[in-house]
Amino acid sequence: MRFTWRKFMFWWRRAQLERELQEELELHAELAQDAWRMGNVTLAQEQSRELWSFSTVEHLLQDARYALRSLRKAPGFSVVAILSLALGIAGSTAIFSIVNALLLRPLPFREPERLLRITNLHPKAILAYFQQRCRTLEIASISPGFEWNLTGEGPATRITGSIASVNLFSVLGVRAERGRTFEASEERPGQDGVAILSHRLWKNKFAGGDVIGRTITLAGMPRRVVGILPANFALPSARVDVWIPARMDPSVMADYWGGNFVPLIARLRPGATLAQARGEIKALAAGIWKLFPFPMPRRFNADSTVISLQTDLAGDARSRLLILLCAVGAVLAIACANVASLLLARGITRRKEIAMRAAVGAGRSRIVRQLLTESLVLAMASGAAGVLLSGAALSLFRTVAPADLPGLVDSGFDWRVRVFAAALSLAVGLAFGIVPAWSAGKLDLMEAMKTGSQRSTAPAWLALRGWLIAGEIALTLVLVMGAGLLVKSLYSLITVDPGFSMERIVTLKISPNNSFCRNREACVAFYTRLLIQARAVPGAPGVALVNTLPLDGGLPAIAADVEDHPKTVDFPAPMLWTGAISSNYLDLMHIPPLSGRTFTNADGAGAEPVILVSASTARRFWPGVNPIGKHIKSVNETKWRTIIGVVADVRQFNLANRSPSAISGSIYMPYAQAIDSNARIPVVMNLLIQTTGEGTAASEIRRIAMDANPEVPIGRLVPLKQIAGNSIAGLRSTVWIFLGFAAMALLLAAIGIFGLMSYSVSQRTYEIGVRMATGATNASIVRLILAQGLRIAIIGMAAGIGGSLLLTRFLSGLLFRVEATDPVIFIAVCVFLIIVAVAASSIPAWRASRIDPIRVLRVE
Amino acid sequence: MGQNSVAPELLPGTLDLLILRVLALGPLHGYGIAQRLKQVSDEVLQVGESSLYPALQRLRLHGWVKAEWGASENNRRARYYTLTTAGRKQLVSEREEYDRMAEAIQKVLQMA
Repeated sequence: MRFTWRKFMFWWRRAQLERELQEELELHAELAQDAWRMGNVTLAQEQSRELWSFSTVEHLLQDARYALRSLRKAPGFSVVAILSLALGIAGSTAIFSIVNALLLRPLPFREPERLLRITNLHPKAILAYFQQRCRTLEIASISPGFEWNLTGEGPATRITGSIASVNLFSVLGVRAERGRTFEASEERPGQDGVAILSHRLWKNKFAGGDVIGRTITLAGMPRRVVGILPANFALPSARVDVWIPARMDPSVMADYWGGNFVPLIARLRPGATLAQARGEIKALAAGIWKLFPFPMPRRFNADSTVISLQTDLAGDARSRLLILLCAVGAVLAIACANVASLLLARGITRRKEIAMRAAVGAGRSRIVRQLLTESLVLAMASGAAGVLLSGAALSLFRTVAPADLPGLVDSGFDWRVRVFAAALSLAVGLAFGIVPAWSAGKLDLMEAMKTGSQRSTAPAWLALRGWLIAGEIALTLVLVMGAGLLVKSLYSLITVDPGFSMERIVTLKISPNNSFCRNREACVAFYTRLLIQARAVPGAPGVALVNTLPLDGGLPAIAADVEDHPKTVDFPAPMLWTGAISSNYLDLMHIPPLSGRTFTNADGAGAEPVILVSASTARRFWPGVNPIGKHIKSVNETKWRTIIGVVADVRQFNLANRSPSAISGSIYMPYAQAIDSNARIPVVMNLLIQTTGEGTAASEIRRIAMDANPEVPIGRLVPLKQIAGNSIAGLRSTVWIFLGFAAMALLLAAIGIFGLMSYSVSQRTYEIGVRMATGATNASIVRLILAQGLRIAIIGMAAGIGGSLLLTRFLSGLLFRVEATDPVIFIAVCVFLIIVAVAASSIPAWRASRIDPIRVLRVE
Repeated sequence: MGQNSVAPELLPGTLDLLILRVLALGPLHGYGIAQRLKQVSDEVLQVGESSLYPALQRLRLHGWVKAEWGASENNRRARYYTLTTAGRKQLVSEREEYDRMAEAIQKVLQMA
């Protein structure tokens, strides 16, 4: 410390010290005059100065200033280098900041690394069982969002709520911002009429006023507000605005053992390890299927285990993000290789300058340091530009993950992202700077000073550049291959026939409370009246009713008894997707009937219960047999429903038609006869409105719906096409971003080939001149240069094909109707890359063919 | 450096030790230090300015010597170097270190 202070004082007074030393040396010389020879005075001064100054820092600044000057002197090089690096750094930083938000940044809970998720979904009874038996974990439950009506606070609104076990907040270590979280007694029937609000709902709906203790009406039930959560709390998703306690009542078997199966969250108890918890859960889970008071599938949920809560929350965005991170890393590597190649070329043209510096006494380490500083200055400039660009890139890339993922709420540039960007720039600078600097350090002085001519090729350096470019092409090929597969996959997904028509159909969600339909007739009457009123609106030729829109992610399923398929422990009741529809739904959606008849208005509440099955369901349960006349019923009812017809399959769950494995088929019921999983009539329904012209009819129908009952929330008008589009939004943006990276890689590789070939031609000017003078034709010169470019491209592509065969399989989770080694894509990409390589080499080749042999030979 | 002089830098840090030892007898200016070293060593150790003055700056920087201007023999302004308390401690420890080294080297050289 004191040394640094003295050093600083020396540096501060260095001018005075210099004068004093001068005087001292003069005196020395005078006194020593005839005694003996003089020492090296200059060296004495030089070395003393080093002591007075912070020499390393000063050298660095000097080098940096020099670097800036030499970058300014070569603006073309600088712009290309900085731009390509900046794009790479911007992309990497933006992707990294999403990875950081979702996968790296600790969750905003106490000791987040000890928070886990128990896989699979479990009923309340199993939660209680785990809570009693598990010694290593504290366990809570939190349901995904439900939609409930909040009434009595201005116009009725639809809000998302979640049912949480009363210990959830203590397990997470979250305190209420105001009021309190749940108390243990609030899981008991009669005491559970409480609710906790989100910060956002409190601000928006209650204007941040005093609501603690106030009673609100949620889904028709009065609940006392006991607390408000902090603004950053976003579990199970950022959409959730209200949390209510899960009621634990073993006496109501259907709810306690059946009801909604929910995800379980757990915290490792102090001293317990992950391995212990995993072992314990595995042992407990193995037998839970036997605990149910009704038959469950053999080994139901026996494979439950624990995983990190963070990994669980990121969901399938995780794999997409990691793929993009690899892709953008490859782009950055290509940019680095390009700049390294450019620097090598520059190093060769700067050989005389460097040799001169070495000749006047710059040490080798000094020259290497100087060149490295130049690279670092370049990298830092690119890094700064990259960080500026990454803000824009981030907002684009965020669409890869669903916007309401808990981590994404405040993804931004925290310190981790800044450190990442800085470290990345530094690493990039070293990566592309080290080879050129090292090779310049090895410069043979005599050779460089002697041969100043254009012709002085350095074959080893040129070969090194060739390898760099070949490596770029290999990486580019892998990226373009990936992009090709993804685009083909996305194209098949978009153009796949979903089995229904989306043209000119808008949807409107109508969501009364459950209590609104306490008797079936009220609901049937409400919707029948609404349909009649809507159909009277001019400009809407068709209006139909359905419980869940295709592709909106809803999954209304019932456990069913199927004729000819008796239940056993190993073959429990199959789950069937159940559409509740008005009689004109199939018509309006252009879902064709295949056999039998469809519903008519005669299939009403009092008529014989009838259903339709989809073609695949019919094949599954009655292969080769006519299903019409067979019977299906819910396990909760006694009367069988008769199959009256078969209709075509529809991609109900998603466009890729990967329905959850638990669903075995799909059936339709007429609305008046329909039931949901609790054997009640479906309450929340969607109007499908076919429009003509400007579609003012839809708005008119929405107004009618809103007037029908002020207690019933009415959603926005959403085109069916938009719902279908949303269902693949994450995949689509992943594909587009990947394609963007591939295009960037391709552009960089083309620049790389172009640069290399131009340089090579300029180095071979003399040789080409001689060839021409001895009778080579223009065409043969063009062929010569093109062949050289192609050779490099083909070496790179061979490596790239190998890489693709290894790597594209990691994309298979995103691929639809495309193999990870699709031969058409492989061949097309190779041909495309060859065309790019030829195009990039053609300008240098053309220039080579225009070389004037007379002039070249005369110059030499 | 001349052919017949011994570079005191042969053992790193030796020059610092020698200067500290010479100054232990009393303040001297730069030329005086060089002269004293030469005399005491029977003209074996001849230190040039290029080593001596940077070494003196280094010792000042560490706070082992302090410099004050005074008058020289020929009545010119000269800078006199004095050992500080820290310098005395440094001399003791460097000397011990040197003795240890020298002994070790001797042992190796006299190996049977």
